[in-house]
Amino acid sequence: MSKPTDLVQGTLDLLILKTIALEPMHGWAIARRIRQVSKEVLQVNQGALYPALHRLEQQGWIEAEWGESENNRRAKYYSLTKSGKKYLQSEQANWERLSAAIGLVLKRA
Amino acid sequence: MRWWRSVAHRVYSFFHKDAVERELDQEMCFHVEREIAENMAAGMSPEEARRAALLEFGGVERFKEDVRVARGVNRIESLLADVRYGFRALRKRPGFTVISVLTLTLGIGANTAIFSMVNALLLHPYNFRDLDRLVRVWEDRGIDEGFDARYMAAADAEDLRTNSQVFEKFATYRMQSFSMGTGSEMQPVLGGKVSAEFFDVLGVSPASGRVFTATEGQTGLDQVAIVSYGFWQGRFGGDPAMLGKTISLNGRVSTVVGIMPKDFDYPVPVELWVPLALSPEEKRDRTQLTESALARLKPEVSVAAARAAMAGLSHRMEQDYPKTNSGRIATVLQLRNELYMFTLPLFLLLQIAAGFVLLLACANLANLVFARMIGRQREIALRAALGASRGRLGQLFLSETVLFSFVAGVVAVAASFASVRALRTSIPAGWTKWVPGWDGIRVDGNVLAFTVLIALGVGVILGLATMFHASQVEPNKALKETGAGTVAPGKRRVRSALVVAQVIFALVLLVCAGLTIQGFVRLASIYQGFEPASVLRIEISLPEKTYADSVKVANFYQELLRGSSSLAGVQHIGLVTNPPASNVDNDTTYFKIEGQPALKTSEMPSADLQIASPDFFETLKIPLVAGRIFLDADNADAARVAVISRGMASRFWPKGDALGHRIRLGAQDSTETWLTIVGVVGDVRQNWWNPASRPVIYRPFAQSPQRSMNVLARTVSDPMGFVAAVRDVARREDPGIALRGVNTLEEEIADSIAIVRIMGILMGVFGAVALALSSIGVYGVLSESVAQRTHEIGIRLALGATPGDLRKMILGQALTLTGIGLAIALPISWAISRAMASLIFGVVSVDFAILAGFSALLLVVALGAGYLPARRAIGVGPMISLRYE
Repeated sequence: MSKPTDLVQGTLDLLILKTIALEPMHGWAIARRIRQVSKEVLQVNQGALYPALHRLEQQGWIEAEWGESENNRRAKYYSLTKSGKKYLQSEQANWERLSAAIGLVLKRA
Repeated sequence: MRWWRSVAHRVYSFFHKDAVERELDQEMCFHVEREIAENMAAGMSPEEARRAALLEFGGVERFKEDVRVARGVNRIESLLADVRYGFRALRKRPGFTVISVLTLTLGIGANTAIFSMVNALLLHPYNFRDLDRLVRVWEDRGIDEGFDARYMAAADAEDLRTNSQVFEKFATYRMQSFSMGTGSEMQPVLGGKVSAEFFDVLGVSPASGRVFTATEGQTGLDQVAIVSYGFWQGRFGGDPAMLGKTISLNGRVSTVVGIMPKDFDYPVPVELWVPLALSPEEKRDRTQLTESALARLKPEVSVAAARAAMAGLSHRMEQDYPKTNSGRIATVLQLRNELYMFTLPLFLLLQIAAGFVLLLACANLANLVFARMIGRQREIALRAALGASRGRLGQLFLSETVLFSFVAGVVAVAASFASVRALRTSIPAGWTKWVPGWDGIRVDGNVLAFTVLIALGVGVILGLATMFHASQVEPNKALKETGAGTVAPGKRRVRSALVVAQVIFALVLLVCAGLTIQGFVRLASIYQGFEPASVLRIEISLPEKTYADSVKVANFYQELLRGSSSLAGVQHIGLVTNPPASNVDNDTTYFKIEGQPALKTSEMPSADLQIASPDFFETLKIPLVAGRIFLDADNADAARVAVISRGMASRFWPKGDALGHRIRLGAQDSTETWLTIVGVVGDVRQNWWNPASRPVIYRPFAQSPQRSMNVLARTVSDPMGFVAAVRDVARREDPGIALRGVNTLEEEIADSIAIVRIMGILMGVFGAVALALSSIGVYGVLSESVAQRTHEIGIRLALGATPGDLRKMILGQALTLTGIGLAIALPISWAISRAMASLIFGVVSVDFAILAGFSALLLVVALGAGYLPARRAIGVGPMISLRYE
């Protein structure tokens, strides 16, 4: 069984956390939002999305609650926990530092 | 808190598996529905939209499994499955299970039992608050092993108390025996004279009543007493009106002001305590070493800092009082260390030996487990082929071994309750009176934690070894092989190494056991220089009040000796201050040899001082080497004489001309009268920890009468049969006299070395266990390897090898392994014997007979262990061997 690399996995986690930071969202909406915001560049595979959501829940960064969806169906809404918010901040800062650094290297080299 | 939430989440998922699964389904359904709706909105037909959505979603079951893994449910589930599997596996092979659990129980049980001793005797000898801050204050004078450093002069103690900044509280005390009651009711009691702070230093308060006040430490105001719980119960039947009662001690009336709690028995179990009231001149004294000092360090002061402070003060005192204090260095020693200064190495040795037993058990067990693993190779290979990861397999084996070491741990704990009780009750009280804290040996929280820790540790180590073993299985090869599993040479090497290790552990343990037992036997006969058989020992303490006059003391004992020696059956009867094997050190004294230049006090020679009556030497059959022993004529009016030991004579008069020289006892400025040396007698070993030939000066009792003496009588038959007669003689002189410590000298000797005897027994048990475990181990490996070579043996037989050749081959293997083990173990054992020799005070020495004897024993065991499988293999016959799979 091949494992996604840490970068990819960490990136997906970051995208999910950032996406639900504004408001609680269900899985499908998260995938769609990421696709839309990235202008169709980032396609989140469901096979990766749900394990990631459950892992984040297991780790305590996010919590889930059943609610009414926009088309009046029961859907599972994910939202950030308190520690999840902190984690997002630090991860985002990390990411920005990392991408800036990579950018620098790519430009100079 | 996050980890907690994570665990809670995981546990929730585990217990609500159905609900979680349902929710997961719902979540997936919802996603697919939204996808379909989206597709339809984009203009697809319902069927098309549904197909596209499902296609996009991918394998539903596959990623539901991914979600489960992400939620961590699987891990708990597989662990439970493994444990269940482990249980089944253990049940299915009861023989293997029983043997391995028994082996482990032996190993763990031995450690638990010894640790319960160490725990009670060394780690928690006292229940005092902040035990680490409690110290004894010693004064090292750099003479004779520093043994009498335990005592110091009263003025020195006072200086240390007032001038040092490191103590929170400081107390002094003396042990003393009293005569309690009056007239014919008089009884001896053991007591302590303690300064007012004594109980405060230890942090104990009386069960009822109060401790002493500072004013009660003055002479004349000191007629108060605190009694022990045992004294209160035993002598006063727990009288509820005990406080305020008066008791007569040495003829003086004292009021009882307190009763101590039941378990308080510091420094030794005494019956009562009275204030230590010193006269002004006693307080000024720097020559008599009479006080024991005890202190509580300030919280922030370390032992090292306290030592430094003591050294500094000592140097100042050296300058201030050069006559008495030169060379005296005060130091501190933690209370917990003092008690077992001499026995600590013995306990460490026992704990190490127990550790070796455990190692041996582990090696044995590893062998058993590996043997089983070979049978399971195909199973492992199959599991690996079906996709079990290495970690998953590891978890399986780890949970199996942890499971059975846990079972063994439980059995061991149960066994340890029994063994600790047996240990405590099977050893007679006479032996354990010199082992303070013995009654405190029990299985407590510490011991339980220790046992569980060992059991877990063993389980994990075995599990890891098994995992390593399993990880080397190549599924391809193992699955292709048809017959019983074969063993790769590498694995055979591992098992051979284990046999070698067992031989090493066994020899080391056997040698330790042999040396300890030999040490004990030697100790029992170490009291040489006299004959202890048929000697009765009685202690007599005359009350200070009625025997203030030394003439009266001398008369009492003279009459006692005269009356007793005329008893039928009493051959000799003599007096001495400290009989051999009393476990009490002799008083020591400085002395000056006439005609030799004056020395500083600290450089003066010192010797043990004994007071003895003329017939003492004949009673113990101590040989006369030169000159004469005391005569009745050496009385108070005659010239002062002394007899010295052979060791003293050869040390100070190497030319053998000791007779006629004069010595003077006491420090440099002593005004004692000169003593003329009139005789030299044989050396006597005083106590088992003393070197054989300490210099001893004997003075005649008539010239230096003491109130407390030991009466020794050599009798023609059982010494205990003469106690009543001697008591009658004593009572005729003084009806109030009490006899104490009535025992035969042989019993005293046996009791005094109880700790070494107990150790000898335990080490003997360990040695036997070691021998059994290692023979099982060697036999197991050899029979296994022969069984695996059955095919090969068949071929050899078919090709014409004689049974003799084969026997030689198999026995050769046994001897080679044992030989390698012995070659490694012998130097280790030799080094350990050297270390033991220095630990157990020269009782034990490197003994080649023991080394050679046990090596030979192990070789014989190995031959026996190899012979049985060899005979079996040869007896089978080539046809069957060749078909054997």
